[in-house]
Amino acid sequence: MSSSKLSAKPEPVAQPAEIVREYGFAGVSKVAGVSYDGSRVWAATGAQLVAFDPQRGEVARTLDCACDAGTAFDGKHLYQIAESRIDKIDPVTGEVLASIPAPGAGTDSGLTWAEGSLWVGNYRGRRIQQIDPATGAVRRTIESNRFVTGVTWVDGELWHATWEADESELRRIHPQSGEVLERLAMPRGTGVSGLESDGAGLFYCGGGESGKVRAVRRPRATRD
Amino acid sequence: MDSLVAASARALAAGDALGALKRVALRDDPPALALRGIAMAQLGEHAPARDLLRRAIRAFGAAEERERARCVVAEAEVALAMRDLDGSTRALAAAAAALETHGDRANASHARLIAARRLLLLGRLAEAAHELAAVDPAALPPTQAAVAGLIAAELALRSLRCEPAQAALARAHQAAYRTGVPALMAEVAEARAVLDRPAARRLAAGAGTALRLHEIEALLASGALVLDAGRRGLAAAGAWQSLARRPILFALAYELAKSWPRDVARDHLIATAFRTRRSDETHRARLRVEIGRLRALLRPLAGIESTPGGFVLAPRAGAEVAVLEPPIAGEQAALLALLADGAAWSTSALALALQASQRTVQRALAELQAAGQVRAIGQARARRWLAPPLVGFTTILLLPASLPGA
Repeated sequence: MSSSKLSAKPEPVAQPAEIVREYGFAGVSKVAGVSYDGSRVWAATGAQLVAFDPQRGEVARTLDCACDAGTAFDGKHLYQIAESRIDKIDPVTGEVLASIPAPGAGTDSGLTWAEGSLWVGNYRGRRIQQIDPATGAVRRTIESNRFVTGVTWVDGELWHATWEADESELRRIHPQSGEVLERLAMPRGTGVSGLESDGAGLFYCGGGESGKVRAVRRPRATRD
Repeated sequence: MDSLVAASARALAAGDALGALKRVALRDDPPALALRGIAMAQLGEHAPARDLLRRAIRAFGAAEERERARCVVAEAEVALAMRDLDGSTRALAAAAAALETHGDRANASHARLIAARRLLLLGRLAEAAHELAAVDPAALPPTQAAVAGLIAAELALRSLRCEPAQAALARAHQAAYRTGVPALMAEVAEARAVLDRPAARRLAAGAGTALRLHEIEALLASGALVLDAGRRGLAAAGAWQSLARRPILFALAYELAKSWPRDVARDHLIATAFRTRRSDETHRARLRVEIGRLRALLRPLAGIESTPGGFVLAPRAGAEVAVLEPPIAGEQAALLALLADGAAWSTSALALALQASQRTVQRALAELQAAGQVRAIGQARARRWLAPPLVGFTTILLLPASLPGA
């Protein structure tokens, strides 16, 4: 485990985030974590995981399970933060296969899976922790200077969402130093509670109390 | 927000206050403090709830204005439930404005309704009406609509306008049934019953006739000169002259009104107003001065003429004189009216609402307690006063719709 320091360099200027599409669901008033399994987007809504088709916006499947914060997919299983643990869930049956303690003991927010590790955002702790998905042991801590909500990896880039009071941003940070490399500002009052990349040109963002999931375009420059 | 705060908020929304508390019991970060405070309030633990909410208010950062404002609203509601009316309403007004600028209209109107209820309990009716007017009734969820209806009804009743009161109560009734909250439905039903209850006694030939509110309203509209011994003043043709702060003038007016159309002997006026048996020339001179003062104050409503034996009240042409007494005789009627909401009041809060000294209120309460009309809980400074349990007014804690840290 290693810890990195905050960057002293000035942060880059925030660009406005381009919201491509909004998804809303009947009876859903809160969205915490979001994940993407290659064809469907999963959204944690408190007591139900909702999977929907991002093309048509229709709900394809729901799983009854406690889901209070971040959601992740490792290619086979879903990982879901519930209370102060991370559940490993079979996306077909909804069965909880294993549970590990969450590193923040309940102060955790975002979750993503990349390269054999789970990456967990700590909301008010302003940090991201890389943990062993089998034991929950912390491998590394990356400090941020903002409240961390969703976390996602795409093409070797580490992005996290921040939501502090009325202001929300998607931020690309240096995975070693935590330095902020790029900022996308969401419109005022548009909170981001969860973040997942579709591996291509879009981010899916949990919309917190709005009960919505929003698709945001990933900046082209960083993909080239 | 983080996972345990989310889980706790989920439990609270489902009505499981203990479950909500269990999840964040050991945490002292601001959203957890706020949740613990709200859960404790729902469990009826008002004092620790307020302490937790105050800590949350202090702990939220400067940028987290909306979260802090929601805690201010919750804290104000808990204070209202405790009948702690000390302190200013400035923080609550600022919170309402902050919530409005952050687009949180539901909690902004919640804040304004709490402010209005508080002002109502303090008898500051104009300010309460002003707060209520700032709320858009069409945009309110049912629980808030019911509370707004109750406030509007009480404002109308306190200024003796029965028809608007009835209309407001009908709105409150409908809204309360949509919420399905039993305490709220009971509160509206109780308020409606007040309309049919005797509100005053009219003195006539030594006997009292019970009047209901709409009968009082009709009497006031009839053009009669009405001496109201409950509110301590005189009304005629829409005008009102208060004598609440002039006890001697009120005593004189009361004797004159009670005897009308006959005159009252000077010695009798001296004996009752100055509380002395033996009158001499100095008393007579003083009586002339006091009658002069009363005459000046009453000039828009009625005249006072001297007769060979004493003085007589001379209302405007054709008008009759009526005397209204509180439905329960004695000076404690106003205290009982305040305690009728069923909540616990401190002596200082009662004194503040009645604009009386604490000592006066304590004396009146002691008499009421001896007569079994009020009961006390707690000792010394923690002592609170309550109406007898049969009078059922509930304090409903609705608390902010959205939780902080969400």
